[in-house]
Amino acid sequence: MDWKQLWEILSAPDNVPIIAMIPLLAFYIYLAWKQAHANDVLIEQLAGDAALAKTHHRKAWPFKPGWAKEVHVWPFLLRIEFLAAIIVTIILMVWSITLNAPLEEPANPNLTMNPAKAPWYFLGLQEMLVYFDPWIAGVVMPTLIIFGLMVIPYIDTNPLGAGYYTWKQRKFAIGTFLFGFIILWVSMIFIGTFIRGPGWQWFWPGQTWDHNRLIYEVNRDLPDLFGITSNWGKGIFGAAVVGGFFAIGGMLVHAFFRRHNAKDFKRMSLLQYSIMMTFFLTMIGLPIKMLLRLLFHIKYVWITPWFNV
Amino acid sequence: MPEKPIPENDPVVSKSLAPHYVISMVILMATFFWAMWDEDFGQRPWKAFQHEWKDRYSTFLKSARSQSGDAQKEVEANPDYQKLKQDYDSASQNAAPRIQELREKLRDLAARILAVQDGTNHFTDRRAYVTAATYAIETETSSSSKQRMQRNLEEYKAKPSTVEMPDGKLQTFKNFGELEEAYNELKNERTQFSAELGELIKPVNEKKELMDSFLTDHMVSLTPSQLTNLQNGVEVWTPKIRQINVNEHNADIVREDSSQIVDRCESCHMGIREPVKLTAAAMSLPGKKPDVYARAFTSHPEPDLLKIHDPDKFGCTPCHQGNGRATTSVEKAHGNYEHWLWPVFPRANFEAGCQVCHSADMVVVTNDVGWVVSEGKDLFRQRGCVGCHRFEGYDKEPEDLLSVAQQIKQLDQEKKDNFKQAGDLMKQADKAESNEEANRLNDRAVALKVTNSKLDLRIVQLDRSTKSLLEDMKKVGPNLKDIRLKLNKNWIPVWLKKPSDFRATTKMPNFRLSDDQIKAISAFIWQSALKDSLHKHKLGNAAHGKELFESRGCLACHSIGEGDQLQGGTFAANLTRVGEKANYDYLVRWVHNARERTRPYCPLEKKDIGPEDYKKKGLPYVFDLEHSRCPNDGHELQVQNMTVMPSLRLSPQDAEDVASYLITLKKQDPSSYADASFMDDPNLKDEGKKWVRHFGCAGCHEISGLEEEGRIGTELTIEGSKPIERLDFALFTEIAQRGGVEPITDPEDLARLPEGPAKQPWYDQKGFFEHKLAEPNIWDKGKDKPETEKLRMPNLHLTKDQIRALTTFLLGSQENPLPPNYQYRPLDYRRDIQEGWWVVKKYNCMGCHQLIPGQKTSLMGMARYKDAQEQLPPKLLTEGARVDPEWLQRFLKNPSLSATDTNRNGVRSYLQVRMPTFSFSENELGKLVRFFQALSRQPFPYIPEEVPVLTAKETEMARSLFSSTAAPCLKCHATGDPAHDRFATAPNFLQARGRLKPDWMERWMLDPQAIAPGTSMPSGLFKRDNGHWVFSGPTPASFQGYDKDHTKLLVDYILQLTPEEQRRVGAAMGRSSAGSGSSSGSKSSGNGGRGAPE
Repeated sequence: MDWKQLWEILSAPDNVPIIAMIPLLAFYIYLAWKQAHANDVLIEQLAGDAALAKTHHRKAWPFKPGWAKEVHVWPFLLRIEFLAAIIVTIILMVWSITLNAPLEEPANPNLTMNPAKAPWYFLGLQEMLVYFDPWIAGVVMPTLIIFGLMVIPYIDTNPLGAGYYTWKQRKFAIGTFLFGFIILWVSMIFIGTFIRGPGWQWFWPGQTWDHNRLIYEVNRDLPDLFGITSNWGKGIFGAAVVGGFFAIGGMLVHAFFRRHNAKDFKRMSLLQYSIMMTFFLTMIGLPIKMLLRLLFHIKYVWITPWFNV
Repeated sequence: MPEKPIPENDPVVSKSLAPHYVISMVILMATFFWAMWDEDFGQRPWKAFQHEWKDRYSTFLKSARSQSGDAQKEVEANPDYQKLKQDYDSASQNAAPRIQELREKLRDLAARILAVQDGTNHFTDRRAYVTAATYAIETETSSSSKQRMQRNLEEYKAKPSTVEMPDGKLQTFKNFGELEEAYNELKNERTQFSAELGELIKPVNEKKELMDSFLTDHMVSLTPSQLTNLQNGVEVWTPKIRQINVNEHNADIVREDSSQIVDRCESCHMGIREPVKLTAAAMSLPGKKPDVYARAFTSHPEPDLLKIHDPDKFGCTPCHQGNGRATTSVEKAHGNYEHWLWPVFPRANFEAGCQVCHSADMVVVTNDVGWVVSEGKDLFRQRGCVGCHRFEGYDKEPEDLLSVAQQIKQLDQEKKDNFKQAGDLMKQADKAESNEEANRLNDRAVALKVTNSKLDLRIVQLDRSTKSLLEDMKKVGPNLKDIRLKLNKNWIPVWLKKPSDFRATTKMPNFRLSDDQIKAISAFIWQSALKDSLHKHKLGNAAHGKELFESRGCLACHSIGEGDQLQGGTFAANLTRVGEKANYDYLVRWVHNARERTRPYCPLEKKDIGPEDYKKKGLPYVFDLEHSRCPNDGHELQVQNMTVMPSLRLSPQDAEDVASYLITLKKQDPSSYADASFMDDPNLKDEGKKWVRHFGCAGCHEISGLEEEGRIGTELTIEGSKPIERLDFALFTEIAQRGGVEPITDPEDLARLPEGPAKQPWYDQKGFFEHKLAEPNIWDKGKDKPETEKLRMPNLHLTKDQIRALTTFLLGSQENPLPPNYQYRPLDYRRDIQEGWWVVKKYNCMGCHQLIPGQKTSLMGMARYKDAQEQLPPKLLTEGARVDPEWLQRFLKNPSLSATDTNRNGVRSYLQVRMPTFSFSENELGKLVRFFQALSRQPFPYIPEEVPVLTAKETEMARSLFSSTAAPCLKCHATGDPAHDRFATAPNFLQARGRLKPDWMERWMLDPQAIAPGTSMPSGLFKRDNGHWVFSGPTPASFQGYDKDHTKLLVDYILQLTPEEQRRVGAAMGRSSAGSGSSSGSKSSGNGGRGAPE
């Protein structure tokens, strides 16, 4: 993708959300981080001063007499939300006037477009197809993501940090979220949009997306590297490696979690803890598999007749 | 960043958001109005076009009306018009009082009807109640309530109605029946009055119509009142989408997968179908250059085409392409964006639209010349594109031949099996145990034998079609089996290097061969050629040969001279340097009969048959169209050279003379070519064969061992609809998309690009075709490929115009998105025309004959015919109406019309130029004859009229006309007397019988100029008198009281003319105008400039 192509991609009506997402994401992380930091400072201060903690208002600012400790939703929250709704309406209207839906030519079953890309919000899933077989990337992983999101309220035993921004009180939760959302989801969308060119090949920014480009790349399965040829051998070896990852990774995470998150660890039941570990390790496994593929050209680790990991 | 001071009061509670709300709401409202505007105008740019249209068109109409007003006054001053006007005035005055009276009555009636019918409790109201109540009664199931309802209805009907009449009086109707009666009576009355009024007005209106049509007929443009109507239409025009729903009327035949055609093009192109001619200049603002509006408002440049292709039936996009539904921008509507697959055809290639439906036509427009797409189609065949690229409709013979050969083989096998089985059955029958069993087996054997005889008949049929196919099958290039006999050996490698260096206009393209490839290829074709020997000829008279070459019509196809000196046709080779390459003996054979083959070829055995094969069967080594059976398998042989070059039926002596002249045509001596003895190196043969096969040489040439080679190129039938992604721009994809640098650098090739070096992006079909045709290996540039994988398409050294024509042709060659009934595949006489053009173009008939008014033949421009136009070959504009089809078939088969005396023209013996013998197959003969009949819309088959036998008196009268001094027919027409025929410029009358159609002859005598402009046959020989055609000159006394057409008499006489009679008359005339023979001859040539198509 050279600069002209970059401009063509940036200016495509389909990609408006992605273009908007990048600065918006940066801004909101900055904003949240700033407030979390102020709150963390305040929390520390209040922890040392029980009397102040009883009367201090909601703001991270120093105590002011006369400021209410709590205010009503109506009108103080709703008037701001309504203003936001008006502004969003304006944005949507201008957007719909200026950019029409990108309707393309009639589908031709004899000619697939190259690169054929999913809608922007699915590009992360599409990128995952590079690293796993369709059964894993298209069915298992999305299911796990949905279940993982659903399960959060049930495994989150930390009572702190509701209703205000904080980092210190919810380090693990926020860190995991940022990792899952920014590193895994958004960056994969970014890769899918800007890095993946014709033939779903990897093009660095500045490289021309050339349809005739040919590259030499051999991907091998991990069992092959160890000279395992039989199907049984491959299956058992892969299971051992994946199992090993979960075992060793689990122990490492466990050690880390106990040391740095002792309170949460104590609050969680065994069921909650093991569910959390399963999802967490699976999530960690994704970037590890990506790196194995991108840096070491390892196609699959675990090969079975039914699925490949 | 300095810390902001902390506010005194809680900002969440105390801060006002009013300014934020105000600003947001203002922006929101502004956005809302923007959305409204966008909805009404932004998304509807055609509205701006229609507003402009209203202004400009009405301005235009105003000025047109004032001009046309003057013209109208002139026409109105015409006495004929005045008379019509008087008629009209008196009629309208006479009828006026009664019309006035009737109108009065009708007005009164209308008011009374209105009074009776409208209002509560009046007629319409009560009728509605009655019908509703009746319906309720009809559907009621309980009989008691039915009766009750019936009673209620009767009561209702019995109630009276009071109506206030227009004059203010109240009128009471006793019940519903009375009211209904009164109403119907009023209506009847009105009908009667209206009918009477119509009767009265009708004659007045008719007279008015006569007046108006007189006016329109005599006005050059529209009349002021027509213009006023147009203007009124424009003024009340409110902007709206103008849409053509093409498949509305024939929705049932539309395939489900074909898109329905909805064209809204006329929403901007408002002037396309206006009845006045609108130019861009006329639609421009005063003193301004034509802008985008002016260009959009012009009327269609070809109204005649619109007449054939009614836009209501065809729409716009079937011809022009583009996105007919789009209305949001000019680019979208024209389809000029990446997601519309059928963008509007470029201006230079708009005729591509014809090809979309007319792919089966060789000549798209039968009555006009200069159609680019027809030229493209012609080039595609002439330049041998068909040799490598399959294209439906082109060069079908090899495929058909293969399938026929396959069928013959199958049938042969079946026959053999049947025969064997029959034998077995009969043997079994002999051993059968019972009589019944034996009979049954014998019957089966007999049945098989009968089947075999049926198969035999089928094989005979297939052999006949094989024969036709073999005769029809032509190759673009010469037969390379003959090169040992034909060519100067040392010349071959030089030629292969770059053919256009030797002969700039040659069809042989440049294959970019390396020296090694040239060596191998020439060695292969040299060694695989036939090694027979030729009959030796002595040198003839080159000067006489030159005269023959120039006068016999060779130049209709061949050209001679280079550059500015070039003259003759471009259909066949330029012969300027033929002496450097050709063998004299071969030339003699070729000139005498180009179709003569060295050895016949058997398509079933796939080999050339030699004398040894004939000898084995004890047959004489004779092969020609009459002796075309293979001695080995009994099926048809290829006995002709597969060239379109005909035989000119020259005598052997003449052929020697022409050949002697041809070998003098050279720039350097044949012996000066570098020695090429490597061509005898047997080691090169296999290598050569590989390359010959690789480059597909056998597509255009006949080559030993490669007779059945398939085409090596991609099929182009639907090339125009190939997705752009399938066209490989190779390393130039990005450059083409961005319109950067022009990849072609070779100056010669660059000059071929129709649009010049690329400036705009050219990543489309047009750009691909044009670049590919200009430099066929352009996509190899910068690529590192082995020799065998390089692009093989040779450089055809085309001109800009040729590339434009071919591109147009290819752009239109599409998988048709339209319903199948849009394809032009007629089944009536037009099909004969369609098929005939393929044959006509194949043999270059138009090199000599004019078939389309205005079409130039190759011979027309030549100095030789400048002062002797009557020496040109005849024009064939009305050939079908002129001649008997059976005669035409005989003539085309053998134009000398004689079995023995063939060195002559059968009809026009006075012409130097010769109608050659083309040896048409039965198939093509039929197509040609039907073509000419269809072109003149003659019924087919033709049943000749009976010619009445003339009485002695009539014969005498006719003879006197025939030999009359006012019209001495035999002065110009040939008689067969050599002394006279030297000066004759018209055909012999004796040929008329069986050849000409009598009604055509009559028309010809009446006005030859109308049929063949420029003919030397005089017009005005007959005049109309008393409803009959009579001779204009003095008629002999015997014509007293003769009340039939003189022309008819003369025609009947000519058709019964005997040689003796002609000789007698000729002799008599010769006596009467003794000594005038030579003077008349010089006079006729002095009259010059007038052709003799008849």
